[in-house]
Amino acid sequence: MKRVASLLFIVALAVLLLYVVAGMPPMGDPDNPTATHVIPRYLERAEEETHTVNVITGIILNYRGYDTMGEVTVIFCALAAVLAVLGRERRGVIHGFVDRSEVPSSTIVKTMVRFMVPFIILFSVYTILHGETSPGGGFQGGAVIGGSMIIFTTIFGLYESSRRIPLKVRASLEGAAVMGFFLVGALGLVGGGNFLTYAWPRVSRSLHPSLVVWLTVLVEVGIGLGGAMVLTSILFAMIREEEEIAPSS
Amino acid sequence: MGAWRHFPIFMITVPLLGAVLLPFLGYVRERWVPYAALLPLGTSTLLGILLIGRIPSDGYLSYHMGGWEPPFGIEIRLDYVGLFLMLVVCGITFLALVYSRHYIEKEVSGGRRTAYYVLYLLMSGAMLGFVATGDIFNLFVFMEILALSSYALVAITGNRNAVRAAFKYILMGAPSSIMVLLAIGFLYSVTGTLNMADLAGRIAESGYTEVLIVSYILLVVGFGVKAALFPLHMWLPDAHSIAPSPISALLSGLLVEVCAFALVRITFSIFTLRASDLVMGTADAVGVAAAAAVLYGGIMAILQKDLKMMIAYSTVSHIGYIFLGLTAFTAEGLTGAMYHMLDHGLAKACLFLCAGNFIYLKGYRRIEDLKGAWSQMPWTCFAFALASLSVIGIPPTAGFISKWYLILGNVEGGKWLYAAVLLAGSILAAVYCLRVLYYMFFQAGKEGAWEEYWHDAPPAMLAPVWALSLATLFFGVFSSLLIPSLLKAATYLL
Repeated sequence: MKRVASLLFIVALAVLLLYVVAGMPPMGDPDNPTATHVIPRYLERAEEETHTVNVITGIILNYRGYDTMGEVTVIFCALAAVLAVLGRERRGVIHGFVDRSEVPSSTIVKTMVRFMVPFIILFSVYTILHGETSPGGGFQGGAVIGGSMIIFTTIFGLYESSRRIPLKVRASLEGAAVMGFFLVGALGLVGGGNFLTYAWPRVSRSLHPSLVVWLTVLVEVGIGLGGAMVLTSILFAMIREEEEIAPSS
Repeated sequence: MGAWRHFPIFMITVPLLGAVLLPFLGYVRERWVPYAALLPLGTSTLLGILLIGRIPSDGYLSYHMGGWEPPFGIEIRLDYVGLFLMLVVCGITFLALVYSRHYIEKEVSGGRRTAYYVLYLLMSGAMLGFVATGDIFNLFVFMEILALSSYALVAITGNRNAVRAAFKYILMGAPSSIMVLLAIGFLYSVTGTLNMADLAGRIAESGYTEVLIVSYILLVVGFGVKAALFPLHMWLPDAHSIAPSPISALLSGLLVEVCAFALVRITFSIFTLRASDLVMGTADAVGVAAAAAVLYGGIMAILQKDLKMMIAYSTVSHIGYIFLGLTAFTAEGLTGAMYHMLDHGLAKACLFLCAGNFIYLKGYRRIEDLKGAWSQMPWTCFAFALASLSVIGIPPTAGFISKWYLILGNVEGGKWLYAAVLLAGSILAAVYCLRVLYYMFFQAGKEGAWEEYWHDAPPAMLAPVWALSLATLFFGVFSSLLIPSLLKAATYLL
């Protein structure tokens, strides 16, 4: 009965959605409402108004910065949810027992990882700092740092890894993305604009471009650091859970 | 334009900022976290109070984020009704947070306590942002935070039942979020804008195409799940009764209502009313569902043996009330619905916190265990009684006022049957509430169930309970403070 009902529901939903797709404006048509209403202004004036060559960055950090502030809060919320269910890795206890997260691996692998990780992080720093002029940005760079931490942790184990990025650092930087947005938003008020105003009305015109770019970079750095810390903390929390299940010797 | 213009945005962002600062405090001094968490919510409440009277009652406050004018940037649009609901959210979240400290120390194990407060602040901030926004994608963003934090808060005690309830909640909640997102995508594809006011204008120009009809239906179903409207309420009883009591209070007293309010915003400010058969047709369907919810919730509440389960089913019934007020499409009906959001929020939060007191002190969850409870916990029992009166709708409590307007609104709209359903719902509420009160006050407890002497909950748990129950009385006696401006705002919406 339940199965039939859910099947019927899914079929009904599918029919409904297909019906909508049939009624939607043709894809790629330059006369679509999506291409004629809001987008032209973004494409034509984003560079001059937000001082970012990368229009996407201009949209997500500036025109729709408030949405992005919400999204970084979602990421932070995901971490809080993981910590609520799994709890943090225990401080200081890691010394006490065998670290089971370490996979025995050869010297070659260890050396390669030791060699690669700094370069991966360097690359991510580049991605973060040049988000406003080239593809990339805080989200991507932060994810790359998080990825490098996953590689490092699988090879060297939780103990080594959490020595590199201790809880103290993570606890203070996990919210860096939201803090960055809040800081820039509040500075916007000081500069005489609304919340999240990058181009301060009160500051002289000559200062504008560099100021806007610096504020954009500040937000990008916040997103990158925050994202990286959140990913790392989620990773560590999940490792601890596995250790607890395994009988400690 | 003074500095108060910026208050709404700080009401929203200060709790979010507080949430991201708490993990550090949790690392340095975990003991201070419960007190520090009060600070951002207190600030929001204060800012909200300072905003009273600043917003024109027949208009709204429009705030352009980043200084970009609406269709290009994001707009915060706060009318009188929105501010009213934001204040309700601030007040109740603040009180339930005061209540949380003792309760959480007992129910939630050490390392997770900071996470509790973090999620709590995220949820409060998200509710505030959700109510105030004038941009439909922004609405979705806050809905994400709201959903994510509430799933985790239901599961936070970590026991098997809690995790199962949270999982059920996710299974219902995630598809509903997807439906809302799809609908927003459809809307964007045919109008090219995300701003609610702009959407309304562009829809009026283009007329109601299939895409718009389907996206409206998706929005109604999506938010219907979040607001637990009758056939979509399956997740509610488990999630609301198993969550820690302060969270039950928030979920039942605020979250479902905020989601109902989002549907109101969408109906009134995007798919402008009456202009289309679409809205009216859907409204008829929603009306039937809501009437069914009133009766079903009431009957199920009577059948429950578990106190929190009973209160949760009562919420199903009361969501029906709110929707019946909305589908009446009269100023009185809308006013009743808005006022019902207030008094249901207060009363339901109070009931859940009272139930929390019993669980905290005695571990009693079943209604039968409450026989003779008042001999030991009179303060809790009297607060429970007062809030119950409001749930039933007995004067002079606020519940009476809102039900009066709800019935009046339905009669004015010519919906006699719904008016009768509302009355029947009150009778059902009287049955399930009075039974508990009868057990509490007029039955002798089992041997050894209660000690002879008074041993009520600590003051930090009683004060919020009493503040809430007295508030239901206050808003019942002094309803003239709010009703005229709500009526004006409702007429403006229609």
